[in-house]
Amino acid sequence: MELKFPRAIRKDLNFVTRFRLNSRLPIRCARWLRLLGLLVAIIGLARADAPDPDPQVNTDPGTLKTLTLEQLSQIEVTTPSKEPVKAFQSPVAIYVITGEEIRRSGATSIPEALRLAPGVEVARIDSNKWSIGIRGFGTRFSRGVLVLIDGRTVYSTLLSGTYWEVQDTNMDDIDRIEVIRGPGGTIWGPNSVNGVINIITKDSKETKGMLANMGGGNEQQGFANFRYGGGNGSDFSYRFYGKGFTVAPEEHSDNRNFDDWRAAQGGFRMDWNEKNRSSLTIQGDFYEETAGESVQAVTYTPPYSQIVDANAALSGGNIMARWKKTLSASDDIQIQAYYDRTNRYEPNFAERRNTFDIDFLQGLKLPWRQQVSWGLGARFSLADDIEVVSGLTFLPAKRTDQLDTAFVQDEIGLLDHRLSLIVGTKLVHTNFFGFGFEPSARLLWTPNQKETIWAAYTHALRTPSDAEENFYLTGYAGMAADGTPIFARFNANSHFAPEQLNGYELGYRRFLGKDFYLDLAGFYNHHHDLFDEEITGGIYLEDNPAPVHYLLPAQFGNGLLGTTKGFEIAAEWRLSPVWQLKGSYSMLQMDIEKAPGSLDVGTAAGIVGSSPKHQISIQTDFELSKTLSLNFTYRYVSALPAQMVPSYSTGDARIGWRMSRAFELSLVGQNLFQPSHFEDGGDPGPLVGIMRSGYLKLTWRR
Amino acid sequence: MAQQGVRNPAILLALIMGFGLAAPGPLRGADESLEYQVKAAFLLNFIKFTEWPPSAFTASDAPIFICILGADPFGDALDQVIAGESVNGKKVAVERLKRAPSAKACQVLFISKSEKNIDKILPALGPGVLTVGDEETFIRGGGMISFVIENRRVRFDINQTAAENAALKLSSKLLSVARAVEK
Repeated sequence: MELKFPRAIRKDLNFVTRFRLNSRLPIRCARWLRLLGLLVAIIGLARADAPDPDPQVNTDPGTLKTLTLEQLSQIEVTTPSKEPVKAFQSPVAIYVITGEEIRRSGATSIPEALRLAPGVEVARIDSNKWSIGIRGFGTRFSRGVLVLIDGRTVYSTLLSGTYWEVQDTNMDDIDRIEVIRGPGGTIWGPNSVNGVINIITKDSKETKGMLANMGGGNEQQGFANFRYGGGNGSDFSYRFYGKGFTVAPEEHSDNRNFDDWRAAQGGFRMDWNEKNRSSLTIQGDFYEETAGESVQAVTYTPPYSQIVDANAALSGGNIMARWKKTLSASDDIQIQAYYDRTNRYEPNFAERRNTFDIDFLQGLKLPWRQQVSWGLGARFSLADDIEVVSGLTFLPAKRTDQLDTAFVQDEIGLLDHRLSLIVGTKLVHTNFFGFGFEPSARLLWTPNQKETIWAAYTHALRTPSDAEENFYLTGYAGMAADGTPIFARFNANSHFAPEQLNGYELGYRRFLGKDFYLDLAGFYNHHHDLFDEEITGGIYLEDNPAPVHYLLPAQFGNGLLGTTKGFEIAAEWRLSPVWQLKGSYSMLQMDIEKAPGSLDVGTAAGIVGSSPKHQISIQTDFELSKTLSLNFTYRYVSALPAQMVPSYSTGDARIGWRMSRAFELSLVGQNLFQPSHFEDGGDPGPLVGIMRSGYLKLTWRR
Repeated sequence: MAQQGVRNPAILLALIMGFGLAAPGPLRGADESLEYQVKAAFLLNFIKFTEWPPSAFTASDAPIFICILGADPFGDALDQVIAGESVNGKKVAVERLKRAPSAKACQVLFISKSEKNIDKILPALGPGVLTVGDEETFIRGGGMISFVIENRRVRFDINQTAAENAALKLSSKLLSVARAVEK
């Protein structure tokens, strides 16, 4: 007898993988984009030649002094990290989305902002859910992608994934989002298998004064954001913010408009800086949301299986303290601790989770041009998973997971700092599988200031999650001839092993002339022990849980292996001081198959068919005048066969008008090419159409 | 300033993260040098928008001296900005000082971050010296103009009372561009 899983369950199962977390502190490496912007600004202002190793040639004070006071006040002179070069000369595939880019794009949420980075697959499932992946493995919970907000890991141990709908902050306070494509386990921890998304908010000394905006439209029905910042003018500053929004359901051909979304969030940040020698940051956020969803609810009693459209009540909060001390020019220590609470009450299951995390980090210089860094981290995650329907349970319902990490990395300067070798490893210990190593070696060659060539080998692990180790997920398969219901159930697998990756990468960046920048990265990853769904035996009659039913036993296993390969090309072209163009193309080839002896029931095709082979993105910014700016984005995403989503092209537009120093008005149109299109099939029932939408926003600052 | 850059914990963190060490110095310098090139251009503008009493000069044809007290963060930038410049018929010149200036020696005194005894230096200055500091707190200690970095841009705050007490008249243009004016 062939047994088919209901589509919704299959989908959920595909999602249920991933791992837990290890936090890593916000990487303060800078960004090539900023560098480019800076260089272009310098070049534009100073009519100098191509970027030159000598900074004094880059800038011409003769031009600067002809500028007015107002013009001088508009020149960006620092990056937030004061490090314009680092990303350009870093041996990883990194793209930095700046706060300014986010503002210009009109993105109203973090997932939407992630569309700005090359090689990231962002597919909106409905109004409050997204499937996000990096270099493949796109799922609603972002398989193998570690996500951090100001150093706090927001990746959940529940199903090793990120619930994107509850990851938010005041968008205007985002300094940048660093997107690392490819494994970063040595530094970032045991979940950064396919990539790292590092969201960093501004220091509160950069957010003084009042900023308020509000607006609305057909999809973003109404929103308001408020922030106020201040300080004592020297070593202390603070800000607090509040926000709220209502988002309308997307388009449903069956009119089950379940995905309405309302949220409120607030938070604060306080920074003490003592002459750049030590700093203390304390910050926190809290949120409450009502997010409509449609879920499969399975019970062993009639009606056995139904699709429930209801609201999920989501709330939570966090508080974090981070202390940094500079001991000498090359010796620095940092300690960070946080507490995070999440509550999820969904129509088919509920969870309360408390996470405690502490991290220590030190960097020091050693002889022979060595820069060593090492760190220790510990995390406890205490979960209470509450049964709502009998077909989705955790046993035991309460559990505590622990993650301990230690890492050391040495960066050795060779050949007069033109060539360096970076080697290191992370040692991971968790209650899931004991000890594991995540070593890496990177080679960085900067033959001159305009070129960077890098290569890397990385081994990364995704540790198992609660959803693999004590999760029982049941699907209803139909009724037998004798009237007894038939179920299939994934039973907990306490032997689930970490997913593993060996990654090989090659990258090249360069400036071509003064106004053109190119970034190429290619990768070949070998994966093994990948998550799969296995049938572990024949159908039998089961009477516990009651009533009596047929059961087809199944389990999550590690039965897949394969390769992913591809490349990303990103370019930025400053055609004139008021017009710039950015574009990227990403290619992905996934070959995932059953390992010998695997009992997989078809997971591989679902994984491969849920990430686009080709993605194209083009963004263009015009400064029409001092007060008027225009931004367009275009994107093409190839088909997702496993999601039944055809390829699509669509685009966004934003027009911004600075009416005065205090007021700005902007009009944003999203998904403009068609009334609606499909991006992902994550919800049960017919695909949800992502609608053409627009909103008007008024910003007031003082 | 290179020193300062490395001391920034953020930079160290970047090094820690393994993306840093190979970054050659010059570009990092470029970043900071831009900041001080802009500040140098501001200093020239401050002169244009400030009125000194005749008593602030040793002679009617004496240049306007911009003095730098403490470690010089400008490099050549300030010299290049003022090269060939004259304001109201007066040449502009740069002096680098090791200790507090004597009367009428400086019309603009830029006190760098390295200077520890700002609170002792300021009261000892006579009238006619426009004092500019590199830290936000400078104007609260009796200084007249503080450079501040806000949203990655160079801005400045003004203590108008301090300027008036020193017989200096700051134009309304300068006051209007300032981020904050204390009275």
